[in-house]
Amino acid sequence: MLFGFLKDLDPRLRSRRRQWKERIIQGGLFLCAFLSVITSFLIVVVLGKEAFPFFQEVSILEFLGTTWTPLLEPRSFGVLPLVCGTFLVVVGASMIVIPAGLSTAMYLSEYASSRTRSVLKPILEVLAGIPTVVYGYFALTFVTPILRVFIPSTQIFNAASAAIVVGIMVLPMVASLCDDALRAVPQTLRQGAYALGATHFEVTTRVVVPGSLSGIVASFVLALSRAVGETMAVTIAAGATPRMTLSPMESIQTMTAYIVQVSLGDTPAGTVEYRTLFAVAVLLFAITLIMNVIANRILGRYREIYE
Amino acid sequence: MKTTNLTARQRKAYLFRLICAAISWMGIGLLAILIFHVTSKGISWLDWQFLTGFPSRFPERAGIKSALVGTIWFISMTACFSIPLGTAAAIYLEEYSRKGPLGYLIEVNIANLAGVPSIVYGLLGLVIFVRGMELGRSLLAGSLTMTLLILPIIIIAAREAIRAVPNSIRLAAFALGATRWQMLRFHVLPQALPGILTGVILALSRAIGETAPLIMIGALTYVAFVPEGPLDAFTVLPIQIFNWASRPQEDFHHIAATGIIVLLAVLFFMNIIAVSIRHHAEKKGKV
Amino acid sequence: MSKQTQSLLTLLEAVGVTIYYSDKPAVQEISISVPEHHITAIIGPSGCGKSTLLRAFNRMNDFIPEARMEGQILYKGNQLYAPGVDPVDVRRRIGMVFQKPNPFPKSVFNNVAWGPSINRYEGNLNERVELSLRKAALWDEVKDRLNDSAMTLSGGQQQRLCIARALAMEPEVILMDEPCSALDPVSTARIEDLMFELKKTYTIVIVTHNMQQAARVSRFTAFMEGGMLVEFGATKQLFTRPVNKRTEDYVSGRFG
Repeated sequence: MLFGFLKDLDPRLRSRRRQWKERIIQGGLFLCAFLSVITSFLIVVVLGKEAFPFFQEVSILEFLGTTWTPLLEPRSFGVLPLVCGTFLVVVGASMIVIPAGLSTAMYLSEYASSRTRSVLKPILEVLAGIPTVVYGYFALTFVTPILRVFIPSTQIFNAASAAIVVGIMVLPMVASLCDDALRAVPQTLRQGAYALGATHFEVTTRVVVPGSLSGIVASFVLALSRAVGETMAVTIAAGATPRMTLSPMESIQTMTAYIVQVSLGDTPAGTVEYRTLFAVAVLLFAITLIMNVIANRILGRYREIYE
Repeated sequence: MKTTNLTARQRKAYLFRLICAAISWMGIGLLAILIFHVTSKGISWLDWQFLTGFPSRFPERAGIKSALVGTIWFISMTACFSIPLGTAAAIYLEEYSRKGPLGYLIEVNIANLAGVPSIVYGLLGLVIFVRGMELGRSLLAGSLTMTLLILPIIIIAAREAIRAVPNSIRLAAFALGATRWQMLRFHVLPQALPGILTGVILALSRAIGETAPLIMIGALTYVAFVPEGPLDAFTVLPIQIFNWASRPQEDFHHIAATGIIVLLAVLFFMNIIAVSIRHHAEKKGKV
Repeated sequence: MSKQTQSLLTLLEAVGVTIYYSDKPAVQEISISVPEHHITAIIGPSGCGKSTLLRAFNRMNDFIPEARMEGQILYKGNQLYAPGVDPVDVRRRIGMVFQKPNPFPKSVFNNVAWGPSINRYEGNLNERVELSLRKAALWDEVKDRLNDSAMTLSGGQQQRLCIARALAMEPEVILMDEPCSALDPVSTARIEDLMFELKKTYTIVIVTHNMQQAARVSRFTAFMEGGMLVEFGATKQLFTRPVNKRTEDYVSGRFG
């Protein structure tokens, strides 16, 4: 007859030690998860700590001015040219990515065979994985020369090249998210429309797309938020000239490019020039945060409808 | 497709389909153009001297050794920090966390952190790691910063992999008198491993190509030495490329392209290794 | 460890057990005594709460956050739900076999060996595995395939593997939740034979919706309906001369 091996050691003793071990493990895992909360908190603290004294020296009204020369005399801290530069790039990118991303998604989900999908999707993923420096280089050395052929007034550094390239960069993300959104529309909805004698085109544009509209819109907002935060492509290709202009052919500077420019220089800590880094970063952070929250809200509400 | 008897509606439908297809395949075209352009500009400058030399004022003599070694150091350190942290956080959220305000707070933060521009992480790293913890412009500061940046990516992918493990396995383990950690360590984690590795590959690929945060940390752009320890200064491939691309001389643009070829090769190589690890893990999981 | 044959020693007991799922009672005021070295069956129509009651015996309901229990479960006179009791300990003494076979995606050997190995078993693991597989009447079929994946076994073999896995922990009680409902009649018959063998060493509680099975294998049967215990007694008597009319209706197939 076999003796149960569990009965050798005092069961209460082993149990307590085991329970302590479990609790320690759980605590450790919790800390790792809580790190995200700590990181967010630190970002706010780090940005705020330098931005706060900045706004004590420079009033908000002045900050919203239209001349940005923080490093040269006469100093001016109107940030709008940087915002304008970012805006130009983002709008230009969206003109590419919204139609192209949606069309690609429609093709992938409604028309393409699964074999085509299995070729296209990985390629899109490769496009998404290319580092942004490479896109910046491509903009400067390929897109800009071509643009200059067609529009001779294009400067060497211009917003348009950057916008085109940022659009391509963000395309896979939009295509993938829109594809998910379109596929989430139930087959029964489509079949109802077909049964009424609609063509594939009509079903896609009049039933499927409207039925997944919030998912599509959310993906656009997320993509544009990424475009706002994009750094290297615009730094390389769009220029370092803060300027209030609506012409995409001119050299401009985005918020992100400005931050890079200052970092590459030798600005001592504690000066107001150093603090402009953080002031611009606060603005950048706020814009992208708001966009992301909006997009996630839309996505959240959208998921409830089909579940 | 019959061309006779097509009503206007059907013709429109066909046209629409063509347009969508054309646009989609343009994506492939663009990729091909990009690769072709970069290769044509840079391939002639790719030689052994380029791979083993240091940067120089003269493009013909410039090399990428410091950036290449720096990248390898950098990615290894980032992986060492981010893989355990990300996996641990994902385990907590999927297996231990209860629906409550704390869990909600963590999840909201992860979702938001995923969308923060990389340059903001750079500022964070500058203030906390470079200045605050006085790590200087070192590999350690850079990899800690990059860890924070890619953590949300790993967490999200790892969570999905853990969620995919069927619940019957968990119940079976519990019914045998296993503790939660025993169940996770011996059953759930091994089964979720391929999925977790996929997320890690994705995250590290992103980390290799990220430039902005490292510029903020102060990774140097003219480095004529190879780092020897975690506290050394360093540079990475994307920063070297950025430096060369920013110079006005045409020749520097050429070697920037050569650098890009090396960077893409590293990425490609890394993905191959990672996919084969994943494949191996999937096969091993069957026994 | 001598066997106590004819005496009916109560090993497991439910006393006034009520289990709520989010304030809806799934099990109401049930009291049952499970005697040692016998097979006790719990029968009843779908949704009557039999699985919920079974899970209470090895504290598997702990994993369902909406579940709340009142009353007591006693094991050898000790309260299983007392504050200091570690549920992990409970589950090492009271094993469970599930309705759908759920072997680990590991080899046959590792499935059976895992339980003892996490308990730092110091004896010979190979012997323990072989013994458990023999007790589960599976050894002859898998002895040359110990390193094959458990997923290559048939459904009936997988279920016997799950039984072997539970046996490897040397429990005193084995709880079986409709163990044959996902299996074919031949596999079912083999497992029923197995149960007869096992009851000599272990105590078995089986939940089943198959009345004939309960009549075949068990010594005692509890009939549940709508969360309540309608009748509990010796199987022979419950099936031939039931006390309660509802029991008689159920076992003679008038409903359920």
